[in-house]
Amino acid sequence: MIAYKFLEAGGVSPFAGFQWPVGEWVDAAAADPCRRGIHACRIADLPFWLGKELWEIELDGEIVVQQRKVVASRGRLVGRVGAWNRAVLDELGRDVLARTRRRFGAIAGVGGYVGDVQRHLASGRVPLAAFAAARAAEVAGGPVEYERERARQAAWLADRLGLGTG
Amino acid sequence: MRLDRELSCIEVVELVTAYLDDALGAADRERVEEHLVFCDGCSTYLEQNRQTVALTGRLVPDDIPAPLRESLVAAFREWSRA
Amino acid sequence: MPSVEERRLVDALRAGDERAFTKLVQEYGPAMLRVARMFVSSRAVAEEVVQEAWLGVLKGLGRFEGRSSLKTWIFRILTNTAKTRAVREGRSIPFSALASDDDESGGVEPDRFLGDDTRFPGHWALPPQRWDAAPEGRLLADETLELIEREIAKLPPNQAIVVTMRDVEGFDAEDVRNVLDISETNQRVLLHRARSKLRRALEEYLR
Repeated sequence: MIAYKFLEAGGVSPFAGFQWPVGEWVDAAAADPCRRGIHACRIADLPFWLGKELWEIELDGEIVVQQRKVVASRGRLVGRVGAWNRAVLDELGRDVLARTRRRFGAIAGVGGYVGDVQRHLASGRVPLAAFAAARAAEVAGGPVEYERERARQAAWLADRLGLGTG
Repeated sequence: MRLDRELSCIEVVELVTAYLDDALGAADRERVEEHLVFCDGCSTYLEQNRQTVALTGRLVPDDIPAPLRESLVAAFREWSRA
Repeated sequence: MPSVEERRLVDALRAGDERAFTKLVQEYGPAMLRVARMFVSSRAVAEEVVQEAWLGVLKGLGRFEGRSSLKTWIFRILTNTAKTRAVREGRSIPFSALASDDDESGGVEPDRFLGDDTRFPGHWALPPQRWDAAPEGRLLADETLELIEREIAKLPPNQAIVVTMRDVEGFDAEDVRNVLDISETNQRVLLHRARSKLRRALEEYLR
């Protein structure tokens, strides 16, 4: 199965600190001595794990689906999603802000979140802005709206980066 | 009103030790990591915990006093004679 | 399972090899004294506990099967000896996390977080600042070690013992569970409280 993986600069995993080789199969035990397995994103999961580098990863072996990721017993980085960079992350931020402002700017009790999203973008914190936007949606319309906002962020990413096609 | 899977920073702070021990279930581990992606405060807090552990690990206790060491050796000699 | 090294060491001790014994004492004695001191009322009593524990180690050598590491086994004898002595002194240290003699204010103060009436209840109001920027390098490191030493001494004994075993001596959670005969949950709660206080003390010191 093909999925995606965000890594820190230099292809290092953000939580386990594992240095990923490119093109080689990696077993879960090697990548993660705490036996958590190889983590990867489906498109819907992307907004939750925003990181510096985005890679396409091929997964194999036993694959378990969690709420915001899939976990496999082995994986292989296929290639970098070259279209993903800081500028695109910032574009995502602006899209999120525009939508939040449009939907909730005038709603009492929710409008304050627009300022939060703006403030976080101003300090370069796009993942926090994206979270704040989803939170605003939740406050306005419940958990279903939280998920919907996140789904919109995912759709934007897939479209902008040409993911899931071909 | 809160998304039932969302963790606030207060809760992440409470889970930090279990997280570092890899003692959280998969779902809680995921919620913590999801939170760390967007929360600088908690990422810093986690890092400070790691730094605290690393510093604590550098403590070296003082040698045991010579009289105690000598009496232990004496005890060993007596024991090995028996 | 006993490592080859451990088996050799145990054999050497049984054969009366004094150098092997001295080396072992040198290696574990200091930490044993430190931990014993946390159970009992005085340094003198702690030394007696260490003496008694080593006698227990020697007497029990024939029984050591290597199911745990030698270090874990030795420390189990030490803590059992210390506990017995502590009880005789009328001091008993509760390791149950429920029996807290601690007001738990050592963690992060509540006002560091946003209240329920805000847009992000429970999120940081005053987030911690990274410590990497601390200047003065090496000197700072010596002083911070002394600070940690002092703060551990201020902890309730059960927290001091767990954090010493875990973070100073490097025992893992399973070892501590075996040595102290407490549940993994309990040892983690005590470790959490101890580390929270140490982190907070460092934060204040490095401000």
